[in-house]
Amino acid sequence: MLTAMRVLASRFLGPFRRKHFDHAMDEEFQSHLEMLVDRFASQGMTKSEALVAAKRQFGGITYIQEELRERSGLPFLESLWADARYALRQMRKSPAFTATAVLTLALGIGANTAIYSFMESILLRSLPVADPESLVVLNWHSRPAFDGSKHWAHVMHGLQGLFWPGEKRELASGIFPYPAFEALRADNPGFSTLFGYFNGQKHNLSVRGQATSASTEYVTGEYFRGLAVSPAAGRLIDSEDDRQGAAPVAVISFAASENRFGGPQNAIGQSILVDNVPFTVIGVAPPEFFGVDPAMAPDLYLPVHTNVLIDGPSAARMYGDENFYWIEMMGRLRPGVSMAQAQAALAPRFRQWVAATATTDGERARLPQLTLNPGAAGLGSLRRKYSKPLYLLLMMVGLILAIACANIANLLLARGAARRGEMAVRLSLGAGRFRVVRQLLTESVMLASFGGALGLLFAIWGVRWLTFLLSRGQENFTLHAELNWNVLGVTAALSVLCGLLFGLAPAMESTRPDVMPALKNGHAVGPRRRPQHVLVVAQIAFSFLILVAAGLFVQTLNKLHSVQLGYARENILLFSLDARQAGHRDSEITTFYTDLRNRFESIPGVNSATLSQSSIVSAGYAGKTYRGPVQIGAVTARDAGVMVVGPRFLTTMQIPLLAGREIDDHDQPGSTPVAVISERLARTYFGNENPIGRRIRFVDEKRDLEIVGVSANVRYGDLKEDESPMTVFAALTQTSPDGVTYALRTAGDPLSYVNSVREIVREADSRIPVTNVITQSGEIDRTISQEVTFAKLCTGFAVLALLIACVGLYGTMSYGVARQVGEIGIRMAMGAQRGTVVWMVLRRVLLLTAVGLAISVLAALSASRVVKSFLFETQPNDPRTLMLAAVVLLSAAILAGYAPARRASRIDPLAALRNE
Amino acid sequence: MTEPKSEVFQGTLDLMVLKTLEAMGPLHGYGIARRIEQLSEQLLRLNEGTVYASLLRLAQKGWIRSAWGTSENNRKARFYSISAAGRRQLAREAANWERFSGVVGRILQMQGEG
Repeated sequence: MLTAMRVLASRFLGPFRRKHFDHAMDEEFQSHLEMLVDRFASQGMTKSEALVAAKRQFGGITYIQEELRERSGLPFLESLWADARYALRQMRKSPAFTATAVLTLALGIGANTAIYSFMESILLRSLPVADPESLVVLNWHSRPAFDGSKHWAHVMHGLQGLFWPGEKRELASGIFPYPAFEALRADNPGFSTLFGYFNGQKHNLSVRGQATSASTEYVTGEYFRGLAVSPAAGRLIDSEDDRQGAAPVAVISFAASENRFGGPQNAIGQSILVDNVPFTVIGVAPPEFFGVDPAMAPDLYLPVHTNVLIDGPSAARMYGDENFYWIEMMGRLRPGVSMAQAQAALAPRFRQWVAATATTDGERARLPQLTLNPGAAGLGSLRRKYSKPLYLLLMMVGLILAIACANIANLLLARGAARRGEMAVRLSLGAGRFRVVRQLLTESVMLASFGGALGLLFAIWGVRWLTFLLSRGQENFTLHAELNWNVLGVTAALSVLCGLLFGLAPAMESTRPDVMPALKNGHAVGPRRRPQHVLVVAQIAFSFLILVAAGLFVQTLNKLHSVQLGYARENILLFSLDARQAGHRDSEITTFYTDLRNRFESIPGVNSATLSQSSIVSAGYAGKTYRGPVQIGAVTARDAGVMVVGPRFLTTMQIPLLAGREIDDHDQPGSTPVAVISERLARTYFGNENPIGRRIRFVDEKRDLEIVGVSANVRYGDLKEDESPMTVFAALTQTSPDGVTYALRTAGDPLSYVNSVREIVREADSRIPVTNVITQSGEIDRTISQEVTFAKLCTGFAVLALLIACVGLYGTMSYGVARQVGEIGIRMAMGAQRGTVVWMVLRRVLLLTAVGLAISVLAALSASRVVKSFLFETQPNDPRTLMLAAVVLLSAAILAGYAPARRASRIDPLAALRNE
Repeated sequence: MTEPKSEVFQGTLDLMVLKTLEAMGPLHGYGIARRIEQLSEQLLRLNEGTVYASLLRLAQKGWIRSAWGTSENNRKARFYSISAAGRRQLAREAANWERFSGVVGRILQMQGEG
């Protein structure tokens, strides 16, 4: 064993000492021969006879030298190295080709690397905890919650958290009732720990008088132990802290400790205020830790039971309610227990527990079933959001890379013709075909490797740019794509694969066994034309697909931009504050907000100011909105959108008032509750009658409101939502608001007023941070940032693809013309007009393009389902887009083919015939 | 591990070279080839160059060492000498041979016993 390794080591060093070895060997053999000559000479032979005898005695010198050379090194690697050096020389000889090829490949590989690094960060990267593979997330799924008559029939009576559509339109979620958590925690054979957490959203964090808005995560006592994290300073929350009545403690994130305290050590023992409730900082989380959800990185970790202190005593009910779903759970599997085993053990226990909470048959028919999902990569909301878009982008950059490779293959095929002579000589001298092919493949792999290396540079820029595009406007963008070893490895593999792919066909082509014609003629016998044409057709087909995609996404963006909003989006500044989290109470909170509104309105340059529970775009998602049914006369409307707004809302947002008045300062806490309804609601429920003065009722709140005005229809919520312009505006002053969003209509750039706003708020109450500052246009764009990104990216991709494909087409046509010089010369000599010749070339271009289009139109039609979910008001088979893409492609092809066509028509027949 | 057939002869030659060096002390390639020829009483006619393949193998395995020096006729030559590991290997091989030839001998004698 040891000897074998010693031999290997010696052979490994061989290539480095080649020259020295060869020289020594020569000397040694020379010396040996001389000694033999001496001996034979002393036996009586003449000098020349002795030499002959010596050589015969020694044996085949060359043969021995070859054998020793082979044994002393690693012949395979050495020949590879020789091939590589030869390849470099070849590349230097044709710099234009090398530069074009490397650049094209770099763009293609770089784009792929950039997209892949995003995918790796979302889909593959594990949580920065110990042994993430043994973590599992607890989810459940059930049949849809609404029964036949659209009533909610499910054990989940109330919820706070996320649910999403599962397979087969089922309901899936990760939230559980607290008693369920306790039951499973007490009796779970498969897990070594089970812990819970839930997203606390944003709270007012006050450190030494400075207040900001901090994202919070509530965690149970076993959370940090279950995740097996060690604190950067202090200690982490444990079971003792998570009890009703325990001293309120908090763990802060590493970043927060640096921003607010100047370092982790300084934070320990400090007292902070969370929504005006005192907490003590007992520890700092480690730097890379971000909890279990890659979509958010909490600043603050609090024990679950402290939510009673922050949200009020009514929150205590959550802990005993078996039908209120809110807490999420994860567990760590015991060593040796698989996820399937744990699920088989736990699911029946859960089923037993949840069955006991069902009160009706409808509920019993829709019991949630427990499932365990892998938790190594954390929670799935980020994955769900980005994985499909990223796959689509990956497909497109893959197509671009394919186009680039086809291009290079074509170029190599053409160049191969020039090297046929060289290949023929090698083959006839005895080189195996495989050996020559191997050398050619080494050349193409080296080319691809240079492309890959340059591509990494492009990838760095690409990642930076893509991060910027995707994160536009979002505050807490947590996607961190990076070029780590995994990504680099994939890039290297991709480069090698590309090199082999585009190098194989040309290599096989130029080493075809019929070498004699090449040796005889001395000049090039061209490659068969079919492979080149096939590649061109493929490039055209791929380009068409990308063009269609770009067209569809641009159309989608246009449709989104032209959505009728019902309000004017320009020059509006939006920002949010939460006075309740800073300590204000019901008695004076509305006065406080109203007072602020007046102050904002008096800023020079502010035309009008208003406030609402949430901005129009985030209505329905954020804030405490009334979501129950609205009774209008005898009818109960279930799908009316309620916006709770302050005075002058319609004026500020420039929503036309069609009748009556808008909500204004007259509407005080004590006066008659009023509402303004949208035109569609008025028409639907009141027909042609005047709704002013009539009453509507918020059923769940048991409040009657008098209609005092009718507004035009407003686009409520996300741009992409289906119509729901039946809006009811209720008065903010007549409710008890938490946080509000102010809207200021300004003269000029809204963002230039931010400082004045902050000043005013600070004067009024320095404990309140101003958050989520954005213009209305910016907020709208933020909701469609993915569509904007796609449209921009795909247009860029389409341009790139078209460029590469046209360059390829141009090259192939040029090459074809050059080869057919003789034939064209004859035709022209026999009377063919220039126009005919041009048409001859263009006809081929059109034919190739037509075939490519035909193939890819079929492909586009069949793949339309893939992009359907990314579009808005656009069909994937939109005929206009397809036609436009076809026309663009055709024009580009004709443009690319025109120059070679013209060159063909300029051929001097005499010169051509002379050369033949 | 059984060596492939073609290498059996190589192994034997290696053994002879090793033994030669052990018995004669440091020698150059010519000297080794000469000595083997003499010992085999002209029975073994090998191409002298093959000795060098043997020497390379032995050197790679660490059983011999080499150093440049001057030969009897004042020629520059590389001298090979056996190493401690080489001596151990030789002892092992010699023992194997003894055992092997003993067994073969006994088998051949067996014929006679009828």
